[in-house]
Amino acid sequence: MITMKGPQAGRMRALSQLSWWLIRAQFKTRRAATLLSMLAIALGVALGYAIHLINDAALSDFSRAMKSVQGDPDAVIAARDSAGSVPLATLNAIARDPAVLLVAAVIETRVRIDNAPTPVRLIGIDVFSAAAVMPDLLPRQDEQAAAPNILDGGVYASPALLAQLAQGAKGSQGKEGKDSGTRAGGTLKLLRGEQQWLATLAGDLPAARPDDLLLVADIAWVQARFGPADAVSEGRVRLAPDTDLASWRQAWAQRLPAGLLIRAADDDSARVSNLSRAYRVNLNVLALVALLTGTFLVFATQLTAVAQRSTQFALLGVLGLSPRMRLMQVLLEGVAIGVPGALLGLALGYALAVAFTQLLGGDLGGGYFAGSAPLIVPAPAPALLFLAFGCLASLAGASYPAYLNRMQPLAQALKTGFAQRPPADAAPTAQPRQSGQSGRSGQSWLARLPPRMPKLPLLLALAAFALTQLPPLFELPLAGYASIALVLVVGIASAPLLTQLLFGWLSAQPLPAPQRIALQNVAQAPLMAQVAASGLIVSFALTASMVIMVSSFRVAVDQWLDHVLPAPLYLRSKATPLPQDLLNALTQPDAPFAKVERMANAALTIDPQRPQVALLIREIEPRDPAARLPLTGPLLTPPAALPAVWISEPMAEIYRLAPAQTLRLPLLGREVPVFIGGVWRDYGRQFGAVVISRQDYQQLGGDFQPTDLALWPLPGQEAQASAWLAPWADRYGLEVADSATIRRLSLSIFDKSFAVTYALEAAAMLIGLFGLAVTLAASVWLRARELATLGALGFDRCMLSHAVMLEGALIAAVGLLIGLACGVAIGAILTHVVNPQAFHWRMALAIPWTAVCAGAAITLAAAVLASRYAARQATRLPVAQVLANAQ
Amino acid sequence: MLRVSDLAKQYRRASRPLFSALSFAVASGEIVALVGESGVGKSTLLNCIAGLETADRGAIAIGPQALDIVALDETARAALRARSIGFVFQAFHVLPTLTVAQNIGVPLLLCGVPASEHTPRTQALLERVGLADFGPRWPASLSGGELQRVAIARALVHRPALVLADEPTGNLDPRTADEVLALLLERVREQQTSALVVTHSQHVAQSCDRILTLTPDGLSGCGRAGE
Repeated sequence: MITMKGPQAGRMRALSQLSWWLIRAQFKTRRAATLLSMLAIALGVALGYAIHLINDAALSDFSRAMKSVQGDPDAVIAARDSAGSVPLATLNAIARDPAVLLVAAVIETRVRIDNAPTPVRLIGIDVFSAAAVMPDLLPRQDEQAAAPNILDGGVYASPALLAQLAQGAKGSQGKEGKDSGTRAGGTLKLLRGEQQWLATLAGDLPAARPDDLLLVADIAWVQARFGPADAVSEGRVRLAPDTDLASWRQAWAQRLPAGLLIRAADDDSARVSNLSRAYRVNLNVLALVALLTGTFLVFATQLTAVAQRSTQFALLGVLGLSPRMRLMQVLLEGVAIGVPGALLGLALGYALAVAFTQLLGGDLGGGYFAGSAPLIVPAPAPALLFLAFGCLASLAGASYPAYLNRMQPLAQALKTGFAQRPPADAAPTAQPRQSGQSGRSGQSWLARLPPRMPKLPLLLALAAFALTQLPPLFELPLAGYASIALVLVVGIASAPLLTQLLFGWLSAQPLPAPQRIALQNVAQAPLMAQVAASGLIVSFALTASMVIMVSSFRVAVDQWLDHVLPAPLYLRSKATPLPQDLLNALTQPDAPFAKVERMANAALTIDPQRPQVALLIREIEPRDPAARLPLTGPLLTPPAALPAVWISEPMAEIYRLAPAQTLRLPLLGREVPVFIGGVWRDYGRQFGAVVISRQDYQQLGGDFQPTDLALWPLPGQEAQASAWLAPWADRYGLEVADSATIRRLSLSIFDKSFAVTYALEAAAMLIGLFGLAVTLAASVWLRARELATLGALGFDRCMLSHAVMLEGALIAAVGLLIGLACGVAIGAILTHVVNPQAFHWRMALAIPWTAVCAGAAITLAAAVLASRYAARQATRLPVAQVLANAQ
Repeated sequence: MLRVSDLAKQYRRASRPLFSALSFAVASGEIVALVGESGVGKSTLLNCIAGLETADRGAIAIGPQALDIVALDETARAALRARSIGFVFQAFHVLPTLTVAQNIGVPLLLCGVPASEHTPRTQALLERVGLADFGPRWPASLSGGELQRVAIARALVHRPALVLADEPTGNLDPRTADEVLALLLERVREQQTSALVVTHSQHVAQSCDRILTLTPDGLSGCGRAGE
């Protein structure tokens, strides 16, 4: 080895200067391509970072909201059934445990205030124990007002509720000319079902969160009016300081009745995180796709940049720039694109996060934390992580061009540069082969790249199929995502083969000169065609797959809505029981309804770390549930001793349940064995639902308090039916909607939840088209001599332009053809693997051929337009100068 | 100085060696012309000497330390080229995105010459090749003759032990070719550098100190120029 003269540091500085000169020159001469590569990286980073910021903020916000009401207990004793309660005897037994410092009992219910539209949470607390566990719920007495304190029946409202009441009071003053009592000392009318109570507003809740609609009163006051007798909703436990929570919990879990559970803080965090986990991961994968598209663009830009500068790099190599430095130079150029791109992405991500939370809420239209617009607070560690992602993506894009630059045979590249005949024409002849440093053939270094073996795409396709058969990992469709990546690789890898097969044959046919030139160029430069087409393959495959998946989903939701909305009219009471006088009135002969079905909802906790399962109590015919439920499999008859339930697909998959199994349902304060009579399709409740008939529920001892009604008006009396319901809805704050409106609203929510993906698809298509334009332009630059020769031989500008544009169209056609095939495959994976594994939604594949083919046609037209950029360059070539330089 | 000993090269699919057992030397300050018919292996010999292609056998000692470039790995060959060899090509080969001064300064960067010496050495060479005011200009604005002067300055700026010139006047008109050749020889002699000039031009060959003729049978006519 030669030892270097001079200090190492000085040499490094000198090389850094040379490197900087080259980077600066690259940015100057390829300004548009470099800038767009940066923007693509920025877009990927921005989307990923925005999703992270929004989810982080939404989860924190949700947790804070929960903590604000629940406080910070070590454990919570609660009923598994939302309609159930915790007996006071049990709570007293826990309170007597020496390991327990304090038990704060809570009764929570929902009430409406007079004519206010939204129900509010009424929380009954013991003010002394609440001070230790739930300080945010402590009331503040308004000393100015002559109102009773909390122990004498005063109620306290959160600031948000006070504001809402004040707003409502303005309206009612205008209409009725009176104040309905919104200041301390005023009287509130509380409604639950048809029952009414008067309460005196005694002050506010200064620590409540700004958007919480809460009323707090003394627990005894609430219990006396709303129940339950001898029981409470929850007991919030503070343990003695040196108590081990896990062992205490385990010991008490065995002693508690079956209908109760112990929740700890980590259960709450896990439940909140599980709530939106799959949706979050899905969005992050989409962001990753955007970042990968950025990587591709850096790849295309750097590959063409290396190809264009192959003579310059060869010269530097001859002058003494080591192979390692040639590799490093291209990598550094990748980093020089990645760092500013990622920094821009962070800023853009923050702006997007703020904008999205304002427009779509903290769940990006997912419906998990509806109504919240959380505060976005960036933290340094995730920002650095996303910065690193951006840089790594760019570095990955530059790595293969860097490797090619490192392997370039110097003497050959210096003499002939990059634009050489590809392998087919440069096949070994009698001429001696010139060997480069790599000891390989004398053909162009790019043309010498190993041809893609047809076997490889086949093997990769088999691997992709095998991955789709794997179960979810960590409850996420990771193997499905991997198979999607493999499908894209298969598509890109098969591009040269398809290009040569299609256009190799065509180029041998008798055709006019421009067409023949275009066909030959595409067929004989498969790598350039592959680079140019791969952007379109990736972007069109992803776009088509999303269109296919969304369309399949929409068709399935549409059909599902048909099944689950059999009645023309629906009425619901927003979580409080329907008033009995309405239910009685509906049974009277003057009610214009042929049929009324009542429904009640509750929630069951099967696993404390998972979101609750919905319990739907319905007036359903046990022998024919298929009339109301879209069953996906056979309907089984239960044994005589067991009541039947029908579980939703998500519930079957999350808890690994199957028809004919006996399920121990935590119901009515105990575990009730029930028979699973079938599985039904449900797109409304991602975390599972179970349907039980009203008769069975009541036979088990349940109190059926309907909250929803399905109504069939008498024939020809639809208008009268709506008019009949209107006063009831107005009086009790009920929601009435016809099935068409519910369907329209549901589909509109569906479309909103996919809003982010449409933006990503558009960005991906733009990037793909840009990649095509850049690569074609580079190809024209590399073939400057050849095109100039054609010009000298008589090709006019129009013919050259047509040849280049046709080349773009041919490459785009290959890209779109492969992209379409990959898109259908990925659409099928998304529909049959990713959706069921991530969200437990199953559906049939419905390919919207018209939309997909129209998209392909528009993309092809856009690709031809994008090729005009390259065509303009081709026709601007100064023929004489190019030919003179080539001598 | 340059000493080539027993050098052999055969391409894999060729029926016979391109050359075998080539031995010759170029002394310090000596300028040797290498002539021969097209395809006989002149450029390959030059590439082997520069370490751009590998010889099958033999040794090539370059510079006062007589380092054998054949025995070095790729990185060490690049370092030896950076430090000990200057190149002048027929097609000029200047970097279009660097100014004239930056182009000339590239070898100084590659062989680690302290930054404080760059400007004086670059400027001195620019003056010696008659382009004193051309430093800040871009190559695109220069004529062929001027570009070749830049290439000559770049080949000599780091004071290499050996200059390899491949048809240095091949792309120039006769008058400019004469000027450039005279400049090249003058500057090489001035720096006491060895030079090997591949050429088809009898005029160029005659201007050198010695002529080597490469034929399929080996080197011949190793006498002084003009003999």
